[in-house]
Amino acid sequence: MGSSKAGGQIDVDDIGYEVPSGTYEEARALVGSTRPVRFGEVEVNAPMIRHYAAMVRDPNPGYWDREFAAQQWGEIVAPPGMLMTWLIPIEWQPAGGRPVPLLTAQVPLPGDTFLNASNDTELLEPIRVGDHLNVVEELTGVSEEKHTAAGRGHFVTTLSTYRREDGTVVARSTNVLFRFRAGGAP
Amino acid sequence: MIPGAHYDQRWWDDVHEGEELPRIDDEITYRRVVMNPATTWDYFPGHHDPEYARSQGQPTIYINTMHFMGFIDRVATTWAGPRSFIARRKMSMRRPIFAGDTMVGAGRVSRKYTDSGGATVRHLVELEVTVSNQRGELCAPATVILELPARGAG
Repeated sequence: MGSSKAGGQIDVDDIGYEVPSGTYEEARALVGSTRPVRFGEVEVNAPMIRHYAAMVRDPNPGYWDREFAAQQWGEIVAPPGMLMTWLIPIEWQPAGGRPVPLLTAQVPLPGDTFLNASNDTELLEPIRVGDHLNVVEELTGVSEEKHTAAGRGHFVTTLSTYRREDGTVVARSTNVLFRFRAGGAP
Repeated sequence: MIPGAHYDQRWWDDVHEGEELPRIDDEITYRRVVMNPATTWDYFPGHHDPEYARSQGQPTIYINTMHFMGFIDRVATTWAGPRSFIARRKMSMRRPIFAGDTMVGAGRVSRKYTDSGGATVRHLVELEVTVSNQRGELCAPATVILELPARGAG
């Protein structure tokens, strides 16, 4: 459990879900495809906001002070850095099965591990305690094989559109993930 | 008022292009990195398992994207104040911040402007924020657009 195999091979217990192996051509064929809408398993809530703000050590009263936040934003707001958190599936379910990972980890490619490369997030509305977010993810690009200091692999670009339960788009986020084989391992 | 919370607000009117944001140093212990999975639900093993991080060619565990985001936003809004709205944050991660590193945030106002494209005029500032490590190596450059309150805006 949790230990890595030699040569940077990932096993399911490391990552918590299957990372499909495939070719660049298979990945290219999926560009432009969209995943079905996914709903957050929890509503935006103050305890998780405080815990995250404590991790970052952010004293912004919008995250801590109910009175200030009510007057300024209508409710305690979520730090924008938590956007992805509200849609991460819970690790274990009583009925079994593995959580479905973000689209970026579902693309078939030769790489068996990843490092995130860049992100561009546009926020359209404050995200408030009580909001129940959903996301639609689209695969917008897969690069040719690139060599970087980390290894050889492909850059995977996804666009995630986040909505509240009333359908209002609250954020759009473009993310680029580097999917690679560590250190050129065979 | 929550003691220790940061209530000071900068008004758009008072911002100057080229002005520097206060530098923030933050020591990243193993405990802080492990708080990444705990608080963001991102259990990718590079953020809690040093052996896994080494199998990726990294010396040890490193902070996740959401911690970088939170720190960049903290640098921006600690300077600007809590009535600022983060409208956009564009960042790239060139080098990880590892457990044992000190994360150094700095920034500068690159542009001050208004946007009249919507229903109301938005008063905006664009910031160039950098996250470096204790050796001065640039880890994550970012551009942040904040909407600030303006005196004449009602």
